[in-house]
Amino acid sequence: MITQKIVDPEKIYDPSEKESLFITGSEAVKEALRRANVDMAIAYPITPQSESMHLAGDLFAEGYIKEYFRGENEFAVMSSVAGAAMAGVRVFTATGGPGTLRAFELFPTWAGARLPIVCSFMTRGINSPLTIQPDTIEMACLLDSGIIMLHAETAQDLYDMILRAFMIAEKTDVHIPVGVFCDGFFVTHTRDTVEVAPAEMKLPPYDAYSSPVPAMDMENAPFRHMRDPFVMKSNFISYATHASWQQEVMAACERSRKYIQQYLGSLIETEHPDSEILIISSGTAISQGREAMKSARAMGLDVGLVKIKSIRPFPEEEIRLLARNAKHIIVPEFNRTGWMAREIKSVIEDTTKVIAGPRVFGGMTMPPESILDEIRRCSK
Amino acid sequence: MLTKRYEVQKGPEGYLPPAAAMMGIVPSEPGTSLVEGQMVLQETAMEKVADALLQAKNPVFFPGPLILWAWKEGVEEKAQAIKELADAAGAKIIPMPDYRPKYPMINPEIEINPNHPNLTIWHNNIDVCLFVGVHCHYANIALKLIRGGTDCYTIALCAEAGHEDAMISLRDVGLDQIRQITEIVKKRKETQK
Amino acid sequence: MRNLFQVSAAFEDIMPAEYKSLIENGPFGGDKGVTDLGTFKELLEEHPLCAGCGLALSLRLILASLPNPEHTIIVGSTGCSALAFPQAAVHNIHSLFGNQNAVASGLKRALSLRFPDVVKDVVVIAGDGATADIGLDMVMHSWFRQERITTIMLDNEAYANTGGQESGMSQEGAVLNMAPKGKNFSKISVPELAWASGCAYVAAVTPANPRKLQSAVRRGILAARETGSSYIQVYSPCPTNYKFKPNQTIEKVKSREKDGTYQVREYISDEAQLLFDRLEEVKNG
Repeated sequence: MITQKIVDPEKIYDPSEKESLFITGSEAVKEALRRANVDMAIAYPITPQSESMHLAGDLFAEGYIKEYFRGENEFAVMSSVAGAAMAGVRVFTATGGPGTLRAFELFPTWAGARLPIVCSFMTRGINSPLTIQPDTIEMACLLDSGIIMLHAETAQDLYDMILRAFMIAEKTDVHIPVGVFCDGFFVTHTRDTVEVAPAEMKLPPYDAYSSPVPAMDMENAPFRHMRDPFVMKSNFISYATHASWQQEVMAACERSRKYIQQYLGSLIETEHPDSEILIISSGTAISQGREAMKSARAMGLDVGLVKIKSIRPFPEEEIRLLARNAKHIIVPEFNRTGWMAREIKSVIEDTTKVIAGPRVFGGMTMPPESILDEIRRCSK
Repeated sequence: MLTKRYEVQKGPEGYLPPAAAMMGIVPSEPGTSLVEGQMVLQETAMEKVADALLQAKNPVFFPGPLILWAWKEGVEEKAQAIKELADAAGAKIIPMPDYRPKYPMINPEIEINPNHPNLTIWHNNIDVCLFVGVHCHYANIALKLIRGGTDCYTIALCAEAGHEDAMISLRDVGLDQIRQITEIVKKRKETQK
Repeated sequence: MRNLFQVSAAFEDIMPAEYKSLIENGPFGGDKGVTDLGTFKELLEEHPLCAGCGLALSLRLILASLPNPEHTIIVGSTGCSALAFPQAAVHNIHSLFGNQNAVASGLKRALSLRFPDVVKDVVVIAGDGATADIGLDMVMHSWFRQERITTIMLDNEAYANTGGQESGMSQEGAVLNMAPKGKNFSKISVPELAWASGCAYVAAVTPANPRKLQSAVRRGILAARETGSSYIQVYSPCPTNYKFKPNQTIEKVKSREKDGTYQVREYISDEAQLLFDRLEEVKNG
């Protein structure tokens, strides 16, 4: 019999007594879910995500999660997750790579339907020929889907972000999905020290009746309600209704900024932010960037680091201000398109400062030396 | 980049007005409210609500499903308190019973619909309206449409986090706050006599 | 009756009449059925579907047949019926085209968690394209998993809302958009698929026999509550795309029954039969 106590989220997020575990990223997902008071989890296998949802299944078997099953494909799973969320429960799932794209139609639908689903994306390559290796290209596809996107660098981040994602997603004025992304294998399959709250603690339950839209349970008003009607076919000014609806979904994402700041400190983390050369990126590219920064600073070069934790909403103002002081901005990425460099260029004043690379993909690792090479070129 | 702070003013603002949140208006913190996009103390906002209602030619309350239907405990009392506030302010009440795109059409005389709230506002020449008991998503959709196409001044009494798309937005509004506004309205009317 | 269907006293005078009549003379909390049509306020009062729409007629009969509308949540799909459902006075979901049974699976399980002591009937009502084509995997997997939901197909033998294209449920030889030389494979036998997939109750009915339709809907929902998945197929011809007169819809149904190209049929598992017998006994005292 599991005995857990509901505590204030702050107490779980900043416990006076922490426990240190040496675990994989997938196990960090399990530890976050154990404390998240999750009602339902729905699973479908795909490498490198599968282990995290096996472990969610273990939590179900142990009694921490109340309902769990394996669906028939990612599109179906994301649909079942939508049904569960509309019924008013806290629900979790995870996928990655081709699974993300198989299910893609659901992500804008989740956002449009104001569903506070938390989904973890363990990213991998998506293009033919098949690859199961780490690659963040699926994130580029999701940038304009309407969901909140947090990017974990480490297993600790993954634990912290998933556990906080539920509280961010469920705020009435936000109430849209949160995707917690991590780079497959690099984070999911490697072991790291993760500090966790005592397992006896869990988050307060989800309140379906603080939702900005009615739960579909025939228990709350109005009983005459459809989630969600074709407003575009309803009447003569309905295009404006659809536009206003879309604006509201974007506004919901915008409102999440203050909650991300509340629960994750900031949308970014910086080291030596006043340096001439800044390495700016997210995910494990930041780990490699940090190594390069250390080597460069040991050589006397003026290099700093900016880790972007929230991709949506994007830290526009923060990056704009940091970019003003820097002479060069290096953007290392694990994908072929360089979407992060594009994002950064879209918010800063002098885009010529941006060096869109180094980039690796197809499962290649990123040696810190490749970033160091860019630093050296800038320093000449 | 924004050069001037965006103000949430009555319209008609234009073809497709922005969501206030996208223009830098942040929902108010607990204990505070928003007046035209500026964070103020809740008491100040209550005074502004009373002002707006009493200065209006045709103030109308738009109660939504959360308060029209007695679906949970406490709703009946809140509904009664809203009716008392409307009576005190001399405001009419036009309900929003649900959010569906109603087929074939609404009767703008007696109902309002979030998909085209302007029809009811135009039909009845409403210059100040008050949203209460409307789910936040639908309230925001409607408030933007009203700002875009009408010159109606909007007030939202929200039980949750408030509505930056309204000109006056009170958050966490319960029975006490409604009664407090009624008292202010009554007191104002006394002093105006 | 629960307060969900009660207008707050302070607002009784301003509530539009149609809502009041839905409460006072509607199907909630009563025992209304298809034979009472015309005497009570229906869940679906107006809709934008075409004149003579077989689907609209079937939908009207299905909604009147729900045994417990006050605890029924409907999951629909993209198609003509999704244009009518916004007007229905029960909680209902349109998510995407074809994912209705997956949505319903998550919904039903979540409702069972939240309301373990209340029976919440989750009923899927979708077209033939949504059920037999784009969503067939999710429909069948919900049956394999024995989800406690009822699946109802409004079978108009075409993609009607998109302009009359061939569907898997069209008859062989039917000339439709995207089948310019006539459909070259036979109508999919979904009732038999449902039976083979483990449904406890399966029926194919038509709106030409409302009592039979009602019996099927009720049996399907009762079976889903206590034994497992259920499937009901309702032939609902489309005058617009099959180009017959709107007043010939029922004739069309009857002629298809007569020539054997639409066969009314029913499959009942032993367990479901025991359940129906037991309920019949209780009813008869």
